[in-house]
Amino acid sequence: MHPDEKPHLTKNRTYVYVWVALVILTGTTASVAGMDLGPWTVLIALCIAGTKSGLVLNYFMHLKSEKLTIFKVIIPLTLAVLVVFILLTFSDLAFRWGGGK
Amino acid sequence: MILRNFKKMDEAREFVLEEAKDDTGAKLGMWLFILSEILLFGGMFILYSAYRYKNPADFHHASEELDVILGTMNTLILLTSSLTMAVSISAIQKGKRKLSMVLLMATMVLGLLFLVNKGFEWGTKIEHGIYPNSTALLSRAKGEILFFGLYYVMTGLHGLHVFVGICVLSVMLAFLLREKINQTRFIPLENSGLYWHLVDIIWIFLYPLFYLIA
Repeated sequence: MHPDEKPHLTKNRTYVYVWVALVILTGTTASVAGMDLGPWTVLIALCIAGTKSGLVLNYFMHLKSEKLTIFKVIIPLTLAVLVVFILLTFSDLAFRWGGGK
Repeated sequence: MILRNFKKMDEAREFVLEEAKDDTGAKLGMWLFILSEILLFGGMFILYSAYRYKNPADFHHASEELDVILGTMNTLILLTSSLTMAVSISAIQKGKRKLSMVLLMATMVLGLLFLVNKGFEWGTKIEHGIYPNSTALLSRAKGEILFFGLYYVMTGLHGLHVFVGICVLSVMLAFLLREKINQTRFIPLENSGLYWHLVDIIWIFLYPLFYLIA
């Protein structure tokens, strides 16, 4: 940061709104888990968890207001690496000789 | 004479520290550490999903035994601690040192509360004979053994992170008390906050995957 540059300040009100959203999403994920939606249950739970993480990363961890590109790419890059690992693991599990026993 | 020289040395040191200050570099370092932490837990999440893919019914049964209310309470505790942490950092940036310290202490108390809850949860499980390598657990289905193994390792490693976080925050509290962290030099507190929020994010994923799959 340049010495003259003021740090980016998020309003306390914004933090409280984000917290309220996180609490509501926690309630949603807990109540959705009680319903029987088959394979969708996991997908919905992961989507909600992803949204919650996005809120924490962007607002609490200030990724939204970081100006340098490197801060913007760190999380997508990490997730891309994880996706590769997940795809490799599951392609192994699904196509292993003998049905993966 | 000697005293005056010491004072000069002190001033020179302050000057060098001020000149060498690199906030962007410090923050980038913290983000790289966070990246490695995500991969550490990411590996475990992949292990979890692979075993769950192989043993869906056992995971489902084993999850029924976890206390959803305690899990939800702990989720809310950590989310709230993230809020107090974020506001604590913004308070010191505005020069409100006392408010910043109070909020930081609140964050630490919430973190301790999380660990106490976790302790009760583990305690009940262990009382029922469910802990790694116990005879009661080993007599169960393979998938359930795997579920509880992952449960202990992943929530255990996460709990360890919460504990380390509390230790780091107590050091920051001491810095705030001695005004080593102030309105112009707050990056250590901000980086500790990044770590604390990361621990929160990991729990955001642990909570539905362990408590809500019944």
